[in-house]
Amino acid sequence: MFRKLVLLLLLALLVVPTLVGVAQEPQGLPVEVPGGRANLFVFDQIFRWGSVGNFNVWRTGGNTPHHHALMLETFWNGDQETGENINALAISGPVYNEDFTEMSVDLREGVMWTDGEEFNADDVVYTVETVKANPGLTQQGWHAQLTKFDVGVEKTGEFSVKFTTLPNPRLHTVFESRWAGLYMMPSHYVSEVEANLADGETLADWHWNAEDVIVLGNYLPQQVDPNGYWELFKRRDDPENSLAGIITGGSGPPYVLSIFYGNENIKKAIAMSRGELDVYFDVDIESFETTLDTTPTARSWYKDFPWAFPNEYSTRHLAFNFEGDPLLQNKDVRWALALAINNVELAGDYIGGLAKVTTFAVPPTAAMTGIYHEAMEPWLNELQIDLGDGEMFSVYDPTVPDQLNAWAEAQGHEVPGTPAEIFGTGWWKFAPEASEKLLIKAGLSRDGGGNWLTPDGEIWTLDLQSDPSENDAYRMGQAAADMWQDFGIDVNFITLDRGAWSQNHHVGAFEVSTPWGSFALPAGDFWPRINGMHSDFYAPAGEDYRPLGGNSLRRLVDPKIDELLDAMEAVDPVGQADQNIALNIEFIQHWVENMIDITCIAFKKLVTWDEKYWTGFPTAENPYAMPLYWFQGGKYAIQGLTSTS
Amino acid sequence: MTLLKEFILPRFAQWLIVIFVGVTITFIIPRLSPVNPVTEALARMQMYQNIDPEAVQAMHDTLLDLYGLDGSVLEQYVNFWKRVLKGDLGPSLASFPLSVNQLIGVSIGWTIGLLGTSILIAWTLGMTLGSLAGYYPNRWWSEGLEKTLITVYPVPYYILAFVLLMAFTFYLPIFPLIGGARGTAALTWEYITSVLHHGFLPALSIVIGATAHRFIMAKALTTTEKSSDYVQYAQMAALPQRKILFYYVTRNTLLPQVTDLSLSLGALFGGAIIAEFVFGYPGIGTTMYTAINNGDYNAIMGITLLSIVGIATASLLIDLIYPLIDPRVRYR
Repeated sequence: MFRKLVLLLLLALLVVPTLVGVAQEPQGLPVEVPGGRANLFVFDQIFRWGSVGNFNVWRTGGNTPHHHALMLETFWNGDQETGENINALAISGPVYNEDFTEMSVDLREGVMWTDGEEFNADDVVYTVETVKANPGLTQQGWHAQLTKFDVGVEKTGEFSVKFTTLPNPRLHTVFESRWAGLYMMPSHYVSEVEANLADGETLADWHWNAEDVIVLGNYLPQQVDPNGYWELFKRRDDPENSLAGIITGGSGPPYVLSIFYGNENIKKAIAMSRGELDVYFDVDIESFETTLDTTPTARSWYKDFPWAFPNEYSTRHLAFNFEGDPLLQNKDVRWALALAINNVELAGDYIGGLAKVTTFAVPPTAAMTGIYHEAMEPWLNELQIDLGDGEMFSVYDPTVPDQLNAWAEAQGHEVPGTPAEIFGTGWWKFAPEASEKLLIKAGLSRDGGGNWLTPDGEIWTLDLQSDPSENDAYRMGQAAADMWQDFGIDVNFITLDRGAWSQNHHVGAFEVSTPWGSFALPAGDFWPRINGMHSDFYAPAGEDYRPLGGNSLRRLVDPKIDELLDAMEAVDPVGQADQNIALNIEFIQHWVENMIDITCIAFKKLVTWDEKYWTGFPTAENPYAMPLYWFQGGKYAIQGLTSTS
Repeated sequence: MTLLKEFILPRFAQWLIVIFVGVTITFIIPRLSPVNPVTEALARMQMYQNIDPEAVQAMHDTLLDLYGLDGSVLEQYVNFWKRVLKGDLGPSLASFPLSVNQLIGVSIGWTIGLLGTSILIAWTLGMTLGSLAGYYPNRWWSEGLEKTLITVYPVPYYILAFVLLMAFTFYLPIFPLIGGARGTAALTWEYITSVLHHGFLPALSIVIGATAHRFIMAKALTTTEKSSDYVQYAQMAALPQRKILFYYVTRNTLLPQVTDLSLSLGALFGGAIIAEFVFGYPGIGTTMYTAINNGDYNAIMGITLLSIVGIATASLLIDLIYPLIDPRVRYR
């Protein structure tokens, strides 16, 4: 009898979970809301949260992606589509005094906290003083930046403030979000929290629970997955009083669910085909094509080719370690490598024609093209390099966008704009014969098999490392490796996991790699983005450059760069914009002339949405906002959505 | 008294030494890694934001202090043991200010539920089917089972998992893509069934391979045992076949299989990284992977400590219960 019972129990152990598991309805979404999918917008959460359920965003480790778009506000938002700074909590731009020791800001009236209090100058004063006074509030370096410039603030009216600072024409960038900016605290609430902290505790220890959150944004957290896979937000009762509501006039979906489907692109495509994801932030081209095949209502920025949103604010380069292979310290060798790349083939066959081409690290958006690329065009057309024996060679090929246009048409694609609008700028000529002369000038030679030999007569081997999790950077690396190999260089293409690849960057353990970045902020200013390249922050190869605070990725010490950075620092990017841009252009010219990086393409994002449940996402036909919903300024895209039902 | 002195105490001492040495090695290894938690945290902060370089230097010092990483390695080691003995595994360096205890607390239940159940099911199935197939080697079902499971066994786990994922979330979309359950934890029928629903596919992927492994082991052991004199004697004595199989043969093959089960259960605290990744399951394997990538020393040490204690305790328990299972050990 006992044995039979044991047998029955074992059988039940197998059968019951099976039956219950299989018999369930396919409920892929982790939550239900009143009104179902007609009231719920689901977006791709870009990370799985490590620190869950604490909405104190000012502390170390606070989660900013998505939270800042849905809940948080600062003075200005950088729009990556237009390059404009949208006035958010400020009603106009910053006003500095002559020596940049004071900055006045007028604030917007009528923006309400979700508990019914109106946002005003007290909130600004409290936020700045609190963040400055608490070393544990390290988010985005705000505490350190306020302390470094000894920033003070006083209320000059109910809706106006004046900051004092050590001379700094860029104090406003602390309150300007491309990704994030110093977010305002509800002073009437946080001051009470602060007053009730236990002995020894600071605001860095404060755990802000979902149910207690008070924000200026349009959404309040409703449910949180303790495992960090998803979060559910509910629209506030008075969306018209949120900042996004005031600016757009829209109210946004009643509920928003952020959900992390993992880093595997195909899972996002599957989720969308199941109706369990309304927008994802990026995938590789193959998964995107799967989406088009399996979700007829899905689309990206362009309805057809080239589909992707082209204006996320960054570019991709082949970067050299100036303390790696000694041959790479020679400008001629770097130019030889650039001229051995066929960027039409790289951007076309390897990237699918989806990313714009550029010769320097400023993305060719409409705004930046007007400021930098058009200004650089005559200079690039005139640019010549010495191939040896006094033979000068014009390196620039302005027809590259036309060639890419022809490539796209040969693939059967219809190009929805001029070649320059869709494919970017010209690029370097594909000129292996010029590369050959440059390498010979540098003392290299070929053996009988056509392989390049170093001046010592050894086979020249070049290590190129890349991380496959960044699709375009990886494919750019593959293309360069293939083309350099065809040219006779023994290229060792090394695939590394993101962690190892980043670590090699940080300690200078690479010869050539595939990082990304932009010299410019969305409004065009360079200095905040590039000042870490100053030799003050130089770290030799073998040492991690990050504790020094700068960006010594290339292990480069260049007095001309130092001189330009010092000059830029002293210039007001708004009041002295012409002077600032002239210095920035001089910086680009120095960078390009010396081929410090080979910049190949700009960023693109296959941010893709399904119009089955929600419509009104910004598109190339209706570009009312940038579609990068995970950035702080991405809130306007969510605010503009309407239910299809 | 002799039992305690000669049998239990030496094993207990061995258990303590294994844990001490294991934990010490675990303390040292992450510190030899080039990944530094403070610089990783700085990199995360600077991912999209422009931060003044001098401000970054100031943040570096603040983070060292916050994470408790200032002071010599020896001081950190002593502090670490002080904390561990109080049951405090310290703050997570990647998910700061969350503690490692909280981090493990959130994920360990899922791993125990998924792996514990899968291991028990696979062990029971594999042992039963393997014993039957070894005792009745020429039956059609035994040959069919053997051929099927030997074919499945060498298939790499990640391929099997992806095939199941594609089959049952895309082509026949009856299972969820990610997660351990619907909604937040509650003692309701809906929540409990959703746990089973979410765990079914990852569990199936683990059970298939693990069953095949144990089937092959049990079949081999049974085949060897079946040729023993005592089995032939029992058959000649016309004892019922079922009795010979389950009372004599299976009991004699049990020793290595119990060892295997105990060690598998002990290793459970390491998690099932691939299964968790493929099925988006919230277990301790992905927590460990994230900790390694981010140089989260404290989380690595906390999870490894659990694994070491788990395996060492499982070994200790096996040693202690062997005499109960096998009289031959008792007589020695």
